[in-house]
Amino acid sequence: MPVDLDNSSTASGEASVTSSGNQNPLPKSTAKKKRNLPGMPDPDAEVIALSPRTLLATNRFVCEICNKGFQRDQNLQLHRRGHNLPWKLKQRSSKEVKKRVYVCPEITCVHHHPSRALGDLTGIKKHFCRKHGEKKWKCDKCSKKYAVQSDWKAHSKICGTREYKCDCGTVFSRRDSFITHRAFCDVLAEERAKAQTQPQPQNQNQTATKESNPKPQTTDSSPSSAATPVSVSAPESGKVPAPAPAPAVPQLTSVISSSALPIQSSGKLFKSGPLMLYLPSILDHVIELPENPSPIMEESLVPAPAAAPTGLNGSCSSSASLGSNGSSCSVFASLFASSTTSASLKPQQPPVFIDLFQSVGQPDCLTDLAPSPSIEPISLCLSTHHGSSIFGTAGQEHRQYAPPPQPAMSATALLQKAAQMGATATNASLLHGLGIASLSSSSAWGQRQVEPENTSVVAGLGLGLPRDGSSGLKELMMGTPGFGPKQATLDFLGLGMAAGGSSNAGLSALITSIGGELDVVAAATSFGGGDFTSKDIGRSS
Amino acid sequence: MTKSQLPHIDKPLAGYPHMPPKSNPKHEIITKAELSKFSIFPNCTIIWCVAGRGGLSLYSPKLCGSFPNNKIHQARPWPGFPTSKGLASFGDANCMEQLLVHCANAIESNDATLAQQILWVLNNIAPPDGDSNQRLTSAFLRALIVRAAKSGSCKMLAAMANAHRNLSVETHTFSVIELANFVDLTPWHRFGFTTANAAILEAVEGYSVIHIVDLSSTYCMQIPTLIDAIANRFEGPPLVKLTVPGVPKDVPPLLDLTYEELGSKLVNFARSRNVMLEFRAVPSTHADGFASLIDQLRLQHLVYAEAGEALVINCHMMLHYIPEETSSPLPNTNSNPYTFQPTSNPSLRTMFLKALRGLNPTIAILVDEDADLTSNNLVCRLRSAFNYLWIPYDTVDTFLPIGSKQRQWYEANIRWKVENVIAHEGLQRVERVESKSRWVQRMRNAEFRGVSFGDEMVSEVKTMLDEHAAGWGLKKEDDDLVLTWKGHNVVFATAWVPG
Repeated sequence: MPVDLDNSSTASGEASVTSSGNQNPLPKSTAKKKRNLPGMPDPDAEVIALSPRTLLATNRFVCEICNKGFQRDQNLQLHRRGHNLPWKLKQRSSKEVKKRVYVCPEITCVHHHPSRALGDLTGIKKHFCRKHGEKKWKCDKCSKKYAVQSDWKAHSKICGTREYKCDCGTVFSRRDSFITHRAFCDVLAEERAKAQTQPQPQNQNQTATKESNPKPQTTDSSPSSAATPVSVSAPESGKVPAPAPAPAVPQLTSVISSSALPIQSSGKLFKSGPLMLYLPSILDHVIELPENPSPIMEESLVPAPAAAPTGLNGSCSSSASLGSNGSSCSVFASLFASSTTSASLKPQQPPVFIDLFQSVGQPDCLTDLAPSPSIEPISLCLSTHHGSSIFGTAGQEHRQYAPPPQPAMSATALLQKAAQMGATATNASLLHGLGIASLSSSSAWGQRQVEPENTSVVAGLGLGLPRDGSSGLKELMMGTPGFGPKQATLDFLGLGMAAGGSSNAGLSALITSIGGELDVVAAATSFGGGDFTSKDIGRSS
Repeated sequence: MTKSQLPHIDKPLAGYPHMPPKSNPKHEIITKAELSKFSIFPNCTIIWCVAGRGGLSLYSPKLCGSFPNNKIHQARPWPGFPTSKGLASFGDANCMEQLLVHCANAIESNDATLAQQILWVLNNIAPPDGDSNQRLTSAFLRALIVRAAKSGSCKMLAAMANAHRNLSVETHTFSVIELANFVDLTPWHRFGFTTANAAILEAVEGYSVIHIVDLSSTYCMQIPTLIDAIANRFEGPPLVKLTVPGVPKDVPPLLDLTYEELGSKLVNFARSRNVMLEFRAVPSTHADGFASLIDQLRLQHLVYAEAGEALVINCHMMLHYIPEETSSPLPNTNSNPYTFQPTSNPSLRTMFLKALRGLNPTIAILVDEDADLTSNNLVCRLRSAFNYLWIPYDTVDTFLPIGSKQRQWYEANIRWKVENVIAHEGLQRVERVESKSRWVQRMRNAEFRGVSFGDEMVSEVKTMLDEHAAGWGLKKEDDDLVLTWKGHNVVFATAWVPG
């Protein structure tokens, strides 16, 4: 009876011992050498099949005094000595210990067959846990999971240290990814070019070793623009999709310049210098600056679907946050600041948006805005759907008041258009339904809650535009008179957009919302729409 | 209105709720007459909306206070549509597939009114920024609209022709670094890369000159790791010749680099690994079965075959672009698109494989998506595509955050694919993916013999899959390896030698 195995006592109950004498003999020499070919046991060994419960059991041998558990009976016996309890270490009975091999209890496993049994108990335990057990050990750094604690520990030691870093600064956790990147990264080309100016053979070696070295390089890292990492894991919530359809720019600027009209009329507040100077430059960018805002509304309807080539008319839930507790002049100034920024907006220029976000994201900006007559940053916030998190930093309150993001409806505009072009009565009703359906939340058009006292202060016009252009806008137009007669002489536009879906959709929605604002400006009716904005006002004043 | 008057929709399957059944024996086509039986249109709208978005508010915006909470008609039974969860219940993939099928049928039968009605319903239940099934459906909806607009025979929908150009999917043009990152995100391509590279490496053992013909839709993204592996091999690095077809860039992913620039980068990289690389891009297109490339290779074959050069043909998700129909193009795209005449001429696809076989390659690797999108019948194709393309949508959450730019690119590429399968016909329809079994048959017909992947390769692929989400799996079918997602076949990899 072999004695050096901990489970010999339990094995009788849960294990079936068979003689492997007639098992197909396999070469035993390879078993130890090749790690990846486990399970080539000695043909003379005893084959032991343990139940999953036994294999998964840990610390089965428990001390009755201190309840400490041990994996092996021998260890418990040794422990018992410390308690001055009777103990008994088993003796190795003889030299010729019968070798034992263990099979996996999982029937589908290759190691279930005695010919592929594993040579030691720890091995089969680990095998069973790794392959058929639950991976309950999770690395905090990389979220990789392990079934065996020791594997997890081993991984934890090296996790994060074995990363591959390209000289462009991008870091990779996998060698494959690193190599592929490396091949196409401009840094390599530059290095090679440099290398060729130096003695050839030496450099060959240097470069070769250098590249195969996974450790971060300290030398000569010249970040290349082409190699700008597109970070995979980094949350991109702060970024805005870049491309802006061309129509958006003129529309945006036109809004801004037309919104300047009230400024001129309220000349007292208008600090002459820089703002005046801005006007022409803005106008330069304006492709269409209609006298009458109504046409532009009509026009802006048409590009709206056009600007959303994917057919996603992005959900546009308004979450304007424009707060000011100072003179309207400063507010205008800020508007102008933003207008210049927007004037330079071009497709593929995400940084502009990001800047906007950042400035919006800082609560200081909002408060700083007020007293200073100078041009202050930008309270024009454009955000995509996910960008709404940005408002979180500015003040959590904003978010609650923002209408829930409305799902975009792709084909609505198209259907509508189709029906406009040749609608039968039936289809007209379809359209009617469509248009209205697109207004998924009428509460987004919350009536203005600006208190009269606040007149000199603010005004945020938060436009929550429905994803679909025209009928929504019609609603807006119809609704406008009702919104607020000249309760407040507020001449301030808060342009808030949160567009979901693609940036195109967002911008198309921008266009439509601009259309709406133009209308508002022209009517000389200024109002704050959206209760969240009003709250914002309340907060800052 | 009673239950019986409502269209029948099959119950969703248990198990994977996003996975519609492979075949649906009981699908009914809603005819116009049938529809009118239970709906004068506005009423119909109300009904749909009851289950969908909260009904009456559609007709009276003043009343539509809060959409999602409007549960006035919640109790009304809707066969096959569990109404308990309101809108969410509509998100069932099975139901969406049914509606898409109905819509496709309506479009194909020029029933504009019905088509529009279904389009409208679909539009309401499948926002393009919804869950994965809704996004999937939205992509199909878009494609159906494009198709309807294209066909022009639908009087009503012809009106969309103007808008149609705005529907086209804008696919991102990648920089090479972006693309390298992009294909690295998911096993979709990596599976093929890893498998093929392992098989190639084994096959070219001992050769001092290796000619690799890379027919890949991913612009040689597989090559650096292959070069790296070759450089480290026991016998020392060989001379590597790399030939690629200079495919016209009309199929995503698009790259902002020419093949020449790409080649010089690869040569540069190979040199850094002490591998001599000769790069050649042969202008050639899938549309003619890479005819000019084959010609070039034939010439070279005459010269080099004797010299003990290994010839590796690596086909990575590229061959399905070769027309599988007869080589004669459609006589008239405006006519009924289903009038392909099967002729006795072998298809370009068949001829291409024969030509490959004629080159007597050392090894040929064929990796492609395991689906069948070749049917001439729109509804069949739609079902098949719907039952395959849910996978990329389902997986994306595991590797790309919502709203990220890469996710937009990724999904735009899927939408492009959907549109190509659904909206186009004839030579324009290039996404002609075939199932593994069909490819295996084709290869065998071309007198190739399958070789199996060794255990070490399998474990290598498994290690790679461990780096990705838990849903990915590996299956061995005969000699072949299949990448699976939640048990469903995604991409297959096969290795072939001349039989």
